Amino acid sequence: MSVPDDGSARAGGPIRGPQSLAAGLGLIALGVFAVWAGSDLPQGTLGAMGPGLMPRWLGIGVAACGVALVLAGFLKTGEPLPPVAWRGVVVVMLAIVAFAVTIRPVPVGPFTTPGLGLIVAGPLAIIVGGYASPEARFGELVCLALLLTAGCMLLFGDLLNLPIPMFPTVVIEALSGSISMRLLLRLSAGVLILLGIGMVALLRSGARRRPVDVATHSLTT
Amino acid sequence: MTDLLANLGLGFSVALSLQNLGLCFLGCLVGTLIGVLPGVGPIATIAMLLPITFGLDPVGALIMLAGIYYGAQYGGSTTAILVNIPGEATSVVTTLDGHQMARQGRAGIALGIAAMGSFFAGTVATLLIAALGAPLTGLAMVFGPAEYFALMVMGLVFAVVLARGSVLKAVAMILVGVLLASVGTDLETGQERMTFGLSFLSDGVDFSVLAMGLFGVAEILRNLDQTETRDVVRQQIGRLLPSRADLKQAAPSVLRGTAIGSILGILPGNGAVLGPFASYAIEKRIARDPSRFGRGAIEGVAGPESANNAGSQTSFIPLLTLGIPPNAVMALMVGAMTIHGIIPGPGVMTKNPNLFWGMIASMWIGNLMLLIINLPLVGLWVRLLKVPYRLMFPAILMFCSIGIYSINSLPTDVMLIAFFGLLGYGLIKLGFEPAPMLLGFVLGRLMEEYLRRSLTLSRGDPMVFFERPVTAVLLVISVVMLVAALTPALRKSRDEVFTEA
Repeated sequence: MSVPDDGSARAGGPIRGPQSLAAGLGLIALGVFAVWAGSDLPQGTLGAMGPGLMPRWLGIGVAACGVALVLAGFLKTGEPLPPVAWRGVVVVMLAIVAFAVTIRPVPVGPFTTPGLGLIVAGPLAIIVGGYASPEARFGELVCLALLLTAGCMLLFGDLLNLPIPMFPTVVIEALSGSISMRLLLRLSAGVLILLGIGMVALLRSGARRRPVDVATHSLTT
Repeated sequence: MTDLLANLGLGFSVALSLQNLGLCFLGCLVGTLIGVLPGVGPIATIAMLLPITFGLDPVGALIMLAGIYYGAQYGGSTTAILVNIPGEATSVVTTLDGHQMARQGRAGIALGIAAMGSFFAGTVATLLIAALGAPLTGLAMVFGPAEYFALMVMGLVFAVVLARGSVLKAVAMILVGVLLASVGTDLETGQERMTFGLSFLSDGVDFSVLAMGLFGVAEILRNLDQTETRDVVRQQIGRLLPSRADLKQAAPSVLRGTAIGSILGILPGNGAVLGPFASYAIEKRIARDPSRFGRGAIEGVAGPESANNAGSQTSFIPLLTLGIPPNAVMALMVGAMTIHGIIPGPGVMTKNPNLFWGMIASMWIGNLMLLIINLPLVGLWVRLLKVPYRLMFPAILMFCSIGIYSINSLPTDVMLIAFFGLLGYGLIKLGFEPAPMLLGFVLGRLMEEYLRRSLTLSRGDPMVFFERPVTAVLLVISVVMLVAALTPALRKSRDEVFTEA
């Protein structure tokens, strides 16, 4: 955490540690919010602590740390605010929300989303989420989505029997009685796997024609 | 002594059952996998796999989860040595000399000594847990609420002192964590606190939701920020078995590393993280020729790797004997235990001896398995590193979503991981570390409970914490540590251990 001062912090006038300042302001806001949110709770006494006692003092403590950080932001030269990769943040959030509203019927205001099950929610999360990286390639993501969804259906649904909806509610209602759920699960997982393998083969043959540099990868620590 | 042997015998009879052996192997395998892959840590993985363990018996479930944790410590060193990127946060120092050894064509030796050192350290740590288990449990039995409260305060103070970066920010994170823990229905009065009438908050924030958001989703967001290229060692890995001269050179470092790691691991407040750093600093300081360090010194791999593994195992001690999780992974273990109806703490050893000793025995078996998983299969792990991150993170994203949904079948939980992911990313951007917050969150409820109880017993007299000798000592240690951490001179040497090491 010892990033040398690159001059940009000094140029900002009296604010010498923008990161500390922002962090401090955030903490003050949180602390004040907590005190406000807990203000209707009885405090009690030390001998019989009420439910509001701890939250209030914690809120005050958080705000006090915030004040100290704000002061540090003015007094001590610190780090600048790092840039934020908005693309990643927005797309990942979208992907998770997409999963949440499609996995099973969710009331959103006056409407209810159709429950589509893992077979739709899983690929949706992967393909949407994949675009969080600027290196996303559609074909690759489709392969990944097909194979992983099939794997998860077998693992969570068949092997572990977890109560995760696998198929759209409409499909389940239409097929109820005519086919056992487990068979349907295995069949559709099989189809997904075949499709996925087909896609991989397709991509491979396409890749052979135009050489792709496989040496560079993006990575993370 | 005979007790110890009998207990270990019981443990091995539990751990050697076919099912438990299989689960142990599975845990070690998954652990190695996520350890090798940068960007996936044990916290997110264990949180993801928690629902899978619902169907298992508690002993098997915990054996597997423990395997993931210490397996990840093994795997992290492979990446550190071969790719110069720490697979886990604790293998940061291994990159320094490990990767240099790899560049000199001694990658195999580095991997070999890391694995052998880890195995030795794991064996010692296992014995230590077995030996310390009984006396510490006895100690815990005489602890009252005031003692527990003081112990947790000390744990949190240690977490602050041992966290990297600003002390002030670490304190703030802990307070935020405890604050977050107070959301939900108050246990004593049944009143809802800070729920804003939202029904999904009335049970409080779910721990796995918080952990997965902070360590699964936020990690992805942070990793998407930076693009680097992987520099997988292209030379031959070479022979894995160190020569006699290598062994002679490394053996004292392994011993020292094991001792340092074991001691730091027991400390409440995530001392295990400090182990490798401290070990490296010490090795460098006592070396006859310190300039060799950073250029492929075998001691610089052997010491920290042993410390790392020893610490990751001894950190089970506070959890199993006192019921206090010293770090975020152990906090998840608490979650796993409570799901199965086991209350972590001194009762575990007497009420569930199978679990306690079985888990300890499985750790040694797991370490043996890891030696096999890691050394001959190293080629496989290297190939795994070629999976680009752009394919890895969508998979993690989906696993997180499925995992969290399957715990309570609540779509709101899934949305909450997005929220906490965003929060975690914001915290990272502002220079906060999310780990102390998670620890504060876990200890928060217990702390409030014990604080209330001890104050009720003393009729509201706060002096109760200073009149009882044990609490007084613990609190004084905490205050001294906190003051010391804030003292400029000591701060400097603490930062040195982290940065320069």
